[in-house]
Amino acid sequence: MKVGYPRAVHYYDYFPFWAGFFQGLDLELIASPLTNRKILEQGLKKASDETCLPIKLLAGHIQALSGMGVDALFLPRMVSVEEKTYLCPKLLGLPESVFAAVPEGMRILTLDFNVRLGKRRVIRTLEEFAEGLGKTRAEARQGFLLAQNWQERYESRRHEGRSFGESMGEFDPRLAGEAGRTIRFDNPDRDESAAVLTVALVGHPYLTQDNYANLNLVAKLGERAHVRFIEEMEPQGIEQGLQGLHKSVFWSHARKIMGAGAAYIGDEAVDGVIYLSCFGCGTDSMTQDMVARIARQQHKPYMVLTLDEHSGEAGLVTRLEAFLDMTERRVQRESNFSAHG
Amino acid sequence: MKVTFPHMGNAWIVIQALFETLNVDVAVPPPTSKGTLNLGTKLAPESSCLPLKINLGNYIEAAAKGADTIAITGGIGPCRFGYYGEVERQILRDAGYSYEVVILEPPDGSLWGLAKRIRYLAGRHNSWTKILKAMRFAYRKSVALDEVEDMIHAARPRLLEPLAAEKLYSKAKQHLIEASEDKGLEEAVFRVQQSIKEGQAAFRGEKPLRVGVVGEIYTILDPFSSLDVEQQLGNLGVEVNRSIYLSSWVGQHVFQGLAQGYRPLRDYPRLAKPYLPHFVGGHGQETVGAAVQFAREGADGIIQLLPLGCMPEIVASSVLPRIQADYRIPIMTLTVDEHSGRAGVQTRLEAFVDLLERRRNRTLTREDVLNVARE
Repeated sequence: MKVGYPRAVHYYDYFPFWAGFFQGLDLELIASPLTNRKILEQGLKKASDETCLPIKLLAGHIQALSGMGVDALFLPRMVSVEEKTYLCPKLLGLPESVFAAVPEGMRILTLDFNVRLGKRRVIRTLEEFAEGLGKTRAEARQGFLLAQNWQERYESRRHEGRSFGESMGEFDPRLAGEAGRTIRFDNPDRDESAAVLTVALVGHPYLTQDNYANLNLVAKLGERAHVRFIEEMEPQGIEQGLQGLHKSVFWSHARKIMGAGAAYIGDEAVDGVIYLSCFGCGTDSMTQDMVARIARQQHKPYMVLTLDEHSGEAGLVTRLEAFLDMTERRVQRESNFSAHG
Repeated sequence: MKVTFPHMGNAWIVIQALFETLNVDVAVPPPTSKGTLNLGTKLAPESSCLPLKINLGNYIEAAAKGADTIAITGGIGPCRFGYYGEVERQILRDAGYSYEVVILEPPDGSLWGLAKRIRYLAGRHNSWTKILKAMRFAYRKSVALDEVEDMIHAARPRLLEPLAAEKLYSKAKQHLIEASEDKGLEEAVFRVQQSIKEGQAAFRGEKPLRVGVVGEIYTILDPFSSLDVEQQLGNLGVEVNRSIYLSSWVGQHVFQGLAQGYRPLRDYPRLAKPYLPHFVGGHGQETVGAAVQFAREGADGIIQLLPLGCMPEIVASSVLPRIQADYRIPIMTLTVDEHSGRAGVQTRLEAFVDLLERRRNRTLTREDVLNVARE
């Protein structure tokens, strides 16, 4: 049995986990194609107008699975992946909120993944899920171990500073091939010495790592700067960045973005921080404001880029160039230059 | 110490009653106005939700009245409201307001921490018995307010003089604000009941249309934020029914379900199950459940209210079309933000009510409308 997984939202964080789990069940889990114009357009047609870009892309990716010969669609409800935090409400509403996008006749496989209920409950949910597919409980437990193993391996690769394409390519063959090149943006003609800056690109991985959605921002940035991502930050660093808060952030992603963003701002080796957000993102509306305050206090060059389905490349390039120019000048000892325009 | 708090419809009346029973000095923010919203919009993050902007405006206006402490409830997510306290603290600090923000929640699950915060607000001179008594009285006041509001919903389409219901409502509210014991609450409710009875004796029209209002709690409870949707509907001859009342929220949020409030919320998740089997934060699942309940009770239509970008309600609005199809009931989603205009809302409401009227009079069925579109 071949199961499809939409290359959207939590793919960018937890695909290794689910790929491992399905591997343990001796089933094949394949991701939908890389985001392209058709996927976005189809997503716009089937998703609610008011929802955010990532959910619209998800609706497109679900439809894109129909041409891939998969027997079912796997879309888990990721409620929580660690104690004391949730994922975004829109992810809690999956898969019901995107039913309209599911191609007719396609079977939907789903389960509630909630670590807050304890590890035993998680394993039981996975066992029940496996039984529904005609597999045994033992296979499910095996799958869970492999899932954890793969997820840890992916995360440690990222902590080592390996690129997303390289780390994910191990679990998603599509990224290991030719597509991986564009993802890793390693252009052989690129002059390494030209990149004098180090810029941290903070934001949800489904924006920072989806090169279609972010209009190839990472490659453009990579021409003039070394790019750092929040996934490269070790948990201690994130913890450090969250020190100043009076109340802990209760969304996993926002917590990571907030902590890593603050840590990069405090890091002397990072020259500037770009917050990549998308229109309609609820958690970003809060964290973006708090990260901006920290950047302002510490006089670190900081810019917010907001994506939506109407984003134009020229506008993005102009803003990016202006930001990098400003940051470069500051690095060249014009430190009295305004950090936020 | 002078305590202030968000307005949120009639919630301020209840919070004021709580603090005044405990002899805590309060500064009630001036009634929310366009000016309040402008103040809040300037400071709040652009894409934050409307209630945050109104809250900030309320605090700034309360600061002019000498307030120095904010009391607000919290939450552990995943709705953004749970994080308001911390974000508001940072925003106000950077804007130069020296506010102490007290979030009334168990910090990291510690009840002792919550007790300390309540103690901080209530001061040394109040015993725990007195605090509990004050909380119970405030709760009863919220129930009385809800009873009055529900009666006003029924009265609006039935009283002949257009503003009679509004006059009655503001008078009753005044009585409830002043009431300091149970007797006063009962009397106020009784008086509204009597006046409505007398007033609607002359009503000879047909049974008004019934519309269920569901959605995000702040926009439902606070008429300013929704541009008086309920009042406007009443003026169009519609009887409004509502999914969430203030006391239900107090009962669930403050008393952790020990009290159920004027309209219990406990059935909603069960009703929502076929459409949305998991909570999504805020009142997203309640919105879906309430829509099912209204549809089953035979309401003529349903309106979902939400502030722009509200995460749980966006999820709810994505599943509402299925309820609309299954129960064959028109559902309209109305999104509000700081740019919403009264005329725009009014036009949409008029069109919606018009559709409901035609449906009821069978001059035009939903299928007819669809057929016209196909031709």
